[in-house]
Amino acid sequence: MVKYLARRIFYLILTMFLIASVTFFLMKLMPGTPLNNQAKLTASQIHTIYQQYGLDKPLWQQYVTYIVNAVQGNFGTSFQFSNQAVSYLIGSRIGPSAIIGAQGMILGVILGICTGSLSAIRKNTWVDGTANIISILGLSIPSFVFAILLQYYFGLKLQLFPVAGWGGFASTILPTIALAASPFATTSRFVRTEMVDVMGSDYIELARAKGLSRFGIVFHHALRNSLIPLVTVIGPLAVGIMTGSMVVENIFSIPGIGEQFVKSILVNDYPTIMGVTLLYSGLLCLVLLITDIVYGIIDPRIRLSGKGE
Amino acid sequence: MKFKTVGKLGAVALASTFILAACGSNNSAKKNSVNFRESAEIATMDQSKVTDVVGLTQLGNTEEGLYRIGKDNKIENALATDTKVSDGGKEYTFNIRKGAKWSNGETVTAKDFVFGWQRTVNPKTASQYAYLFSGIKNADKIAANKANYKTLGVKADGDNKLVVTLDRPVPYFKLLMGFPIFFPQNEKAVDKYGSSYGTTSAKTVYNGPFKQEGWKGSNLSWKLVKNPDFWNKSSVKTDTINYQVVKDAGTALNMYNSKKLDQNTLTGDQVKQYKNDKNFVKYLNSSTFYLEFNEKKDKYFKNQKIRQALSLAINRDQFTKKVLADGSEPATGLTSAGLAKDPKTGTDFAKEVNVPEASKYDLAQAKKLMAEGLKEEGMKSLNFQLMSDDTTGAKQSTEYIQSAWEKIPNVKVSLSNIPFKNRLANSQNGKFDAVITAWGADFSDPISFLQLFTTGNSLNNGKWKSAEFDQLIKDAGDKDANNPEKRWNDMLKAERILLKEQAISPLYQQAQSMLRNQNIKGIVYNSAGLNFDYSHMTVK
Repeated sequence: MVKYLARRIFYLILTMFLIASVTFFLMKLMPGTPLNNQAKLTASQIHTIYQQYGLDKPLWQQYVTYIVNAVQGNFGTSFQFSNQAVSYLIGSRIGPSAIIGAQGMILGVILGICTGSLSAIRKNTWVDGTANIISILGLSIPSFVFAILLQYYFGLKLQLFPVAGWGGFASTILPTIALAASPFATTSRFVRTEMVDVMGSDYIELARAKGLSRFGIVFHHALRNSLIPLVTVIGPLAVGIMTGSMVVENIFSIPGIGEQFVKSILVNDYPTIMGVTLLYSGLLCLVLLITDIVYGIIDPRIRLSGKGE
Repeated sequence: MKFKTVGKLGAVALASTFILAACGSNNSAKKNSVNFRESAEIATMDQSKVTDVVGLTQLGNTEEGLYRIGKDNKIENALATDTKVSDGGKEYTFNIRKGAKWSNGETVTAKDFVFGWQRTVNPKTASQYAYLFSGIKNADKIAANKANYKTLGVKADGDNKLVVTLDRPVPYFKLLMGFPIFFPQNEKAVDKYGSSYGTTSAKTVYNGPFKQEGWKGSNLSWKLVKNPDFWNKSSVKTDTINYQVVKDAGTALNMYNSKKLDQNTLTGDQVKQYKNDKNFVKYLNSSTFYLEFNEKKDKYFKNQKIRQALSLAINRDQFTKKVLADGSEPATGLTSAGLAKDPKTGTDFAKEVNVPEASKYDLAQAKKLMAEGLKEEGMKSLNFQLMSDDTTGAKQSTEYIQSAWEKIPNVKVSLSNIPFKNRLANSQNGKFDAVITAWGADFSDPISFLQLFTTGNSLNNGKWKSAEFDQLIKDAGDKDANNPEKRWNDMLKAERILLKEQAISPLYQQAQSMLRNQNIKGIVYNSAGLNFDYSHMTVK
């Protein structure tokens, strides 16, 4: 296990390094400057400003400087927010993103498990049918459309929740629901399929034969076993939430990291692009690693390490 | 059993959610306060670093310079109590108001101007607006690293006298003094916070009508509160301006409609819907959109008839009303309408230029001129690319112009819609045939537009040249610099040449349309420089 973990972490670092390098060079291929006032500046004025930021140096030199600094935890200062350290920008914006992301994920998965099991138990009834329709809608409606609808009806028309903005739990409700839609639908569909499978298996038959109550069977035997494979989809779902949050944050004016990322690319804010890319890819790698480990723990049939260990 | 428990828990959670939500939305509006929207964050509150409109508006309302620019660009004394101009317009002596205070308790003195200006022109600061200092003694040399920044032509004679020496007369110098880049800076505060000066509300000092609170560097809400130490505080009638950054236009409109915002800028689609609303207001910006033809890359664009033919084929009325439909208006020339007025007659420059053929729609004439032009060039057909941004508006523009041009026989146009920064880079590197360019004036003087098209100006993307035009712009800058009327005529003549030769083809002037509660009055708007001045704003 330790050996396995060490190897995975080594790969994780290697992956991050490759991502950083590729992003760096791709980013520098983009035309234009990171200067806000580019339209008004002549080439020589731009050159003078570049000298101050070290952007006039050869590309490999900038690359080496960047990597050396990044390893030491210095991601530079932003161009669009003059003199703000990238680590501070990310730090002050990751909170709201994490809150709505986590809430959306928890809400979506829990609701999904409930709906999924319910429709498996009541297979081929109106309950199942309704649940199916809801989850198909949840999968097919893009989160931004859903977010706009929520905002219009619950924010503007019914005035139940703030239309947008950040401050207090109330302002997180609509974005959370908007983000929860996709994990809800995926989980619900997934749990239903698994559960139907499990419900038809021999040990459920046995439990039923022993005379256990229906809920006992569902909770103690069926649900637990059908949830194991769910761990595999949680990883990709978390990634989906991260990307989905970019749009949702924009619509609800949440000071999160997602929309910051899009903006930084449009304005060539090199240090921010790099910082946020590394953050996202790091999180993604981490989520996948944790999924693999957790899967190995809860399902002994999966072996993490190779043969002979 | 278990399902019941879950159900109860769910009901409690839901109920508490609603109760909390109800608490959250119970925002009582304070009197004399307004809620404004910005569509982007503040990038910085450091006058030497600022480039963004949001930051400039904040600085213009929280800091005070020599002058405030009032309605119709009227120059009003602010920190300057009187001004003496001598040495043929090359020396300005300002008497500085006594008793003005910074928010850290320091007194505002002439030295603060010297410090601030030197800091901005210092190449180490990498200010993107340092070029505006060009004309002040040694500014160009400092920018080129050929002189120390301390040699800049600005001196404090005691605490209350500021003397500025220029390399050449700068006829629009007083207008510049109303722009936040030229406001004073408090040395003590700048030294104290070092490189983090102006990165949060708390790390900025104020000497203007308002003080800023609650901006933490990248958050989306903050406010301006009336500054009790402002020298002219009795003129400030608004206590609080609350700001919320809302990037999504639909969200902003929903917030306005649910009374969470008192003012909201509209997008093109929204303008169509709200242009007859009683709260609809429209401001013409100082930015003109026009076509440039690359005469260096494509020799046929040197042919005036071809340029004129392409210009005549565009119906600007239809284009702005039917295609853009966002409140923009047809442009009749290069200099934007409403920018500057004739010093003698008070007529608007854009109107006085009056070269109607440069923006006329006449398809028959376009076909005729194109046929003649192609013959002169020995060409059978014209095939080129039109470049612009990749925004929805820009795409609509290029598609419309393409269809207009292809109504001329033997003209084929392909489109290239690329991101803004790419477009700028390609324009400056000459990698285009025809491009839609936008230029916004830095200050309310036609020269801000006209100087672009002098020979050798690196922002003259099409490389059009005219010796007569160059001479007129030169005269306006030296020979006639101290004679407002002659200078005005030089500029008029210059723009007429530019338009008659169709160096550019004017397209439209952009407008900012918004919804604003009618109880808000007294906002001063100028299309160039500081756009919105709230120092005299009232809320009923």
